[in-house]
Amino acid sequence: MRVDVIMPQMGESIAEGTLTRWLKKSGDKVARDEPIFEISTDKVDAEIPSPAAGTLAEIKVQEGQTVPINTVVAQIETEAGAVAAAGKTAPPARAEATPAPAPARQAAATSTSPGDGKERSARPAPAPPSPVYAAPPAGAWNVPKAAALIGTGATVEDLRRVRSSPVVRKIAQEHNIDISRIPGTGVSGRVTKNDILKTIERGGLERGATATAPGASRAPAPVFAPGERVTVVPMSAMRRKIAEHMVMSRRTSAHVTTVFEVDMSRVMKLRAEHQQAFPERHGVKLTPTPFMVKAAVEALKAFPDLNAAIDGDTIVFKKDINIGIAVALDWGLIVPVVKHADDLSLSGIAKTVTDLAERARSKRLTPDEVQGGTFTITNPGSFGSLFGTPIINQPQVAILGVGAIQKRVVVVDDAIAIRPMVYLALSFDQRLIDGAVADQFVAHIQATLQEGKFTEIV
Amino acid sequence: MLARDRKSQGVGPRTVSSSVRPATDATRVPDDASLLKMLYYMKLTRALETRIERKLYRQGKIVGGVYVGRGQEAISVGAAMHMRRGGGEDHDDIVSPSHRDMAVFLMQGVPPEKILAQYMGRKTGLTRGRDGNMHMGDLRHRLIAFVSHLGDSIPVAAGCALTFRMHGTDQVSFCFFGEGATSRGDWHEGLNFAAVLQLPVVFICNNNQYAYSTHVSRQMKVERVSDRARGYGMPGESKDGNDVLVVYDAIGRAVERARHGEGPTLLEFLTFRMTGHSAHDDAGYVPKVLFAEWERKDPIRRCEDDLKGRRLLDAGAVQAMESRIEGELDEAVAWAEAQPYPSPEECLTGVYHEQA
Amino acid sequence: MALTTYVEAIKQGIWEEMERDERVFILGEDVGVYGGAFKVTEGMLDRFGEMRVIDTPISESAIVGAAIGAALMGMRPIAEMQFIDFISCAFDQITNFAAKNRYRWGAGVPMVIRGPSGGGVHGGPYHSQNPEMYFVHTPGLKVVAPATAYDAKGLIKAAIRDEDPVIYLEHKYLYRRIKEEIPKEDYIVPIGQAAVRREGRDLTILTYGAMLYQALEAAETLAREQGIQTEVVDLRSLLPLDKDAILKAAKKTGKVLVVHEDTRTGGIAGEIAAIINEEVFEYLDGPVLRVTAPDTPVPYSPPLEDFFLPNKEKILKAARQLAAY
Repeated sequence: MRVDVIMPQMGESIAEGTLTRWLKKSGDKVARDEPIFEISTDKVDAEIPSPAAGTLAEIKVQEGQTVPINTVVAQIETEAGAVAAAGKTAPPARAEATPAPAPARQAAATSTSPGDGKERSARPAPAPPSPVYAAPPAGAWNVPKAAALIGTGATVEDLRRVRSSPVVRKIAQEHNIDISRIPGTGVSGRVTKNDILKTIERGGLERGATATAPGASRAPAPVFAPGERVTVVPMSAMRRKIAEHMVMSRRTSAHVTTVFEVDMSRVMKLRAEHQQAFPERHGVKLTPTPFMVKAAVEALKAFPDLNAAIDGDTIVFKKDINIGIAVALDWGLIVPVVKHADDLSLSGIAKTVTDLAERARSKRLTPDEVQGGTFTITNPGSFGSLFGTPIINQPQVAILGVGAIQKRVVVVDDAIAIRPMVYLALSFDQRLIDGAVADQFVAHIQATLQEGKFTEIV
Repeated sequence: MLARDRKSQGVGPRTVSSSVRPATDATRVPDDASLLKMLYYMKLTRALETRIERKLYRQGKIVGGVYVGRGQEAISVGAAMHMRRGGGEDHDDIVSPSHRDMAVFLMQGVPPEKILAQYMGRKTGLTRGRDGNMHMGDLRHRLIAFVSHLGDSIPVAAGCALTFRMHGTDQVSFCFFGEGATSRGDWHEGLNFAAVLQLPVVFICNNNQYAYSTHVSRQMKVERVSDRARGYGMPGESKDGNDVLVVYDAIGRAVERARHGEGPTLLEFLTFRMTGHSAHDDAGYVPKVLFAEWERKDPIRRCEDDLKGRRLLDAGAVQAMESRIEGELDEAVAWAEAQPYPSPEECLTGVYHEQA
Repeated sequence: MALTTYVEAIKQGIWEEMERDERVFILGEDVGVYGGAFKVTEGMLDRFGEMRVIDTPISESAIVGAAIGAALMGMRPIAEMQFIDFISCAFDQITNFAAKNRYRWGAGVPMVIRGPSGGGVHGGPYHSQNPEMYFVHTPGLKVVAPATAYDAKGLIKAAIRDEDPVIYLEHKYLYRRIKEEIPKEDYIVPIGQAAVRREGRDLTILTYGAMLYQALEAAETLAREQGIQTEVVDLRSLLPLDKDAILKAAKKTGKVLVVHEDTRTGGIAGEIAAIINEEVFEYLDGPVLRVTAPDTPVPYSPPLEDFFLPNKEKILKAARQLAAY
């Protein structure tokens, strides 16, 4: 019997997907749930597991092709008893995901993501990719100077992720594997010995496996033909979508950006106080991120105009507060969503953000997790930017950009003081939000952060 | 292997006489050969230590400390005359010398050249270079090496005597120390232990009146070390340590008690340290008059005069004895200087028992 | 077969060695008529007589010093410290005389110094100590700490037959709480060999003494609740350490937790961490962690002592942290 393998709908607004790579050849035995190909959509890149055990009978869609959802991309010839036996067969070796072919540069500008959260008025409009300023690999706000180790400027989390542990480094070196490309299940997304051994069992990382220095661009350098001054490559599906939607958002909203400066002393103090106990209790590092999210949630409660969308001539107010968090990927950008952030405690937010960021990097986000956002936070500060003017993630009406937290000289009570400061830049849609409202909204966030009103921490 | 006569009544409490024998002059005098032997060993001891302290040390051939017993030779010689040896494990006595008892080593059969090699840190010294100077021992010569922590040997000597009691032999444990060591806790624990278990130990105090620079009056409030014997319920005596015959006599009686199961004795011998604490100490804290006074009591001259009085030797014989000793020492020094140093990696061996 | 308690196993071991070898004798405070404060030597006076079961004055230094003298004279003394806390009184004899004799002048000192160590019985600062590291830091000594009845007997026999001075630490909490079947036949447990008490692939716990049982319980919970398979190694000997076993277990899981009842600073865990770091760094998949008593004297009052002592919960917490690393 033949079972169809289809291009899944990875998100309700998704109309098409690109088959980036086959992990199996025609005629290969496959086990049920064994990954057989990879796709790239506007929302996510993902490995697609086989719906049945059997033999990959026919491949209908080739690598690089973009097809509408539900297109049959292949068929599996099942055998009697194959389904039951599938679990016992060891999966054959295969290659791990590779980055999208186009260079994934850091976005120079912010981007948008229309189409999300259109619960009541879903349009079949082409779904745009997610935004924005890239988040660092650890997916969280950092205080690079404070946590700097061994002069690399990398945080403990960065080092855990990239340097991992002696045994992982040794194995990685022996197998010429880039640790940073392996999905990690340890603390801070650290690659454990088990993680790397499983990767090797599955056949390792095929290409681009040479180690990269932390912080270096992971995009492949363009290859120039002899004598040529330029080289032309097609955009990846994700890049194309990003390009489209940045322009679409600019065209749609009346962008205005307001910038506030916030004294982070109390937050940093709280964080320092709980830095030890928090991971022990919750299994994740306490970063400034959840504080930002929490402060934004409180402000959104006070100013529901910011938690809304415009639909033609109507204003759509959202009951749920779902915060999108921009995460940088080697192959682009993605905005997983912290759902019902107003129902989450600080630790709940911390856990959710860490989890979403880790799974974004390992291509394990479900489509549902990248949609339904009502407000977005992006973090250009992770690369040192003081502030940017982010582009709104459509159809939302505002986006908050968080700059680098830096110790600066400030005047406090007519005295010069050194304080950890951060710039918050809010881009808002002045079609709906007046400047006064926007400024009060950011002032609310500022007050929450400066007063350090986070009753529940651990 | 220990099928021994178990005639002993056990190690439990016994009735012990607490009477302290009064000091007496020497009542037993050894035979002529023994007298000559004692003189010879006192002279050999002094000559050897003089070589070490005044020659080799000053030539840089001995790198560590040098502590000699000049002026105190009669005590170790008079005691060693009673040490039983050459009869095997179940017969020979055991000795725990302190650092001013060189004669004991010589009389127990350690040749001068081995002692010199020890001082020079050579591989063929008694400790193969692992320890220096008087920190040496050799069970084949029934000598237990002393440690710098004065007084530590007291319980150890008692333990040796405990073994003799358990085996029911009449072996004796000789234990030497200075008056300074009597201030240490181990000294008190050891004497009490030996007394309670009635062990065959002869405790021999070499009271030279100075522990490094500290006078005996700052060491104890009692007049005599032997006064402390009463506190442990054992006999105690104080004797002239510069008269080898007196030493011989007192030790002999204590040894007899021990061999007869009558328990330990504490003997204090009064003497004087005719040098500083060590070769690098000029003893400026000692009144010069004391050196002069004790010089007149020099044990070797007294013994020599006594033997001349007994017509056992004349000036010529003395000179012959001295040149024989110098000749022996010349050879010993030459031998020791020719000995190899241990190889550096030998540092790592011998911490634990090693299978042959 | 009847079950043998830990304390009975020690007694059997000594008894059998005294029957086997006339050179073996025991001395200490209240070991004779009274049979020892913990009854380890009960009945021995009647069987072996006062020449071989010797009540002494309260003089730990003299007890150990006399044992040294006897050992030099060919005997195999066993010196009992009524509580191992009092071993400090004999520190000089042990570290300067017993430990250095062989090295200095080739005279071995085959002897055993044994006594009840450890807390958990509300003994307070002077009846609960774990003094092992003073002696682990002294070349020339051996230090063992059995956790099972089988090992208690096998190690005391090995210690008595050893040619060097052995500090034998009996955990008083285990005396009558631990019982098991042990062979009737003569056997020894070689000094310097650790034992794997539980196999695991995810995490290694190295421990000894009473903490073995806390570690095993924690391992059980980890397996049941989280599927974490913990290897538990009982060191048994602290000097010499079974480096091979330690390194093997460290390499196997890449994650090592060292647990001991002794206080933290200068505890054996630090030494073990250093050895692992020096020799198998490339195999590590996480930091070497410690669960130990804090750097305080052993307190008396139950809430204080409970806080002081490592236990299953403390081990679980650290193990989970390490497993998740």
